[in-house]
Amino acid sequence: MSTQTRRSEIEGANAKPQRISLLAVLDQFFFVFAGLAAVWLAWLLLRESFQLGWWGILVFVVFWGMLAYLALPRIHRMLTAIYVPDYFIGRTRTSDGLLGDPINLALLGDEAALHSAMQAASWTRADRVTLRTSWRIITSTITRRSYDEAPVSPLFLFGRMQDFAYQQEVAGNPAKRHHVRFWRTPDGWLLPGGTRVDWLAAGTFDRAVGFSLFTLQVTHKIDADIDIERDHIIATVLQANPAAAVTVLRDFSTGYHSRNGGGDTIRTDGDLPILDLRALPTVDADEPRS
Amino acid sequence: MSGDSRRKRAASEPVEVLVASDDETHALSSARPLATTLGSLFVFGRGIAGLFWIGAFLLAWPALADEEHVTADERPFVFWLVLSIGVLAALTSLVFAWSIWRGSNLARVLVMCGVTLSTITAASSYFANGEQITIQTTLLTVSLDILVLLALSSRDARAWARQPRSASARRTNVKRSRKA
Repeated sequence: MSTQTRRSEIEGANAKPQRISLLAVLDQFFFVFAGLAAVWLAWLLLRESFQLGWWGILVFVVFWGMLAYLALPRIHRMLTAIYVPDYFIGRTRTSDGLLGDPINLALLGDEAALHSAMQAASWTRADRVTLRTSWRIITSTITRRSYDEAPVSPLFLFGRMQDFAYQQEVAGNPAKRHHVRFWRTPDGWLLPGGTRVDWLAAGTFDRAVGFSLFTLQVTHKIDADIDIERDHIIATVLQANPAAAVTVLRDFSTGYHSRNGGGDTIRTDGDLPILDLRALPTVDADEPRS
Repeated sequence: MSGDSRRKRAASEPVEVLVASDDETHALSSARPLATTLGSLFVFGRGIAGLFWIGAFLLAWPALADEEHVTADERPFVFWLVLSIGVLAALTSLVFAWSIWRGSNLARVLVMCGVTLSTITAASSYFANGEQITIQTTLLTVSLDILVLLALSSRDARAWARQPRSASARRTNVKRSRKA
């Protein structure tokens, strides 16, 4: 085949996909423009908060809300779309596109086996994030009431939010909890190195409530030693499910120190355990809530 | 291993796929996203504020006309001109708020064009002419405009408005699925 025909074939293949519409371009413009406008508005509010005496404190709180929940997330969203890799690097991403909790666990087995294994190991499935559950997590944190089904924040892998999450509350205190998020891997998808797994999971321990380093939002701070949480999940599941087995991909990643999406330090040895739940007896355990 | 390598996914994907996947992943839920609800409410709020402004104008008109030295001949003309512009603006906001609520992408884009223009106007008089933007002057209006812009330009609002779910689009969708 001549170079000429090959080139025209390649060009033909590239020309086929759908054209990018004017509306899509406009949308991108508005997305960026709104981000810049939000920064300007935050600045106006900050200036105003110094002009108003005691009322300025209220305006300052509005300024913080504007900055933490609107301006900075939008700026991060724009920048991370450029610089954060969007293929699998063993890290989840936050809804603002920042690098989130590391993937530190893989599983084999169907969804029913996974639910029954986790429930047998006395893990509680987290509620979905809605206005009602968000309000309840705020009130239970302030009043220190137990909320053992508290929702977890969304983290993204393969461009998708977690399929579900499990947690264990510690001492009835909603600020502290074990929690682990699960994603089903795409069909035929292989881990770096070529191993096929059905689920990937990110488990971390929430130790307190604090401010995110990157967005200044109120969020859970996690314990830096994420390997302890990983080993805790495996230990509880193995103990409650004798038919479960575990193999470890040693040095799946290098051991590393990093930060998660809230700016909390994390460190890991880089091992990736694979929990095999395929031998679990098939029981119609509690039907998963959706 | 050779069987597995055939199934391995590509390391890089063309831009079109990435741009499309961005919308698809966010359009999975058919429920109206919070951003759309808030954006629609803010636009509705602008419409209601416009109605209040018209009420205030009607009350203040006689005094205002004297103050601005509008002659008796010009009065009806100026009165109806200002009133019709005000009513039109308020009604437009209300109609747009309703359309955005229903999921119209055109209404969303048109409203964003409008608030972008008004934000640029406010910003240029702030930066070029040093016009003060405080709570006593236009801070509230500027804030509302920027909040509308942030809400309607968010990925959730965009993805939801761009799926076919306006009344007419839904009908064609049903037809399409029946054909299939």
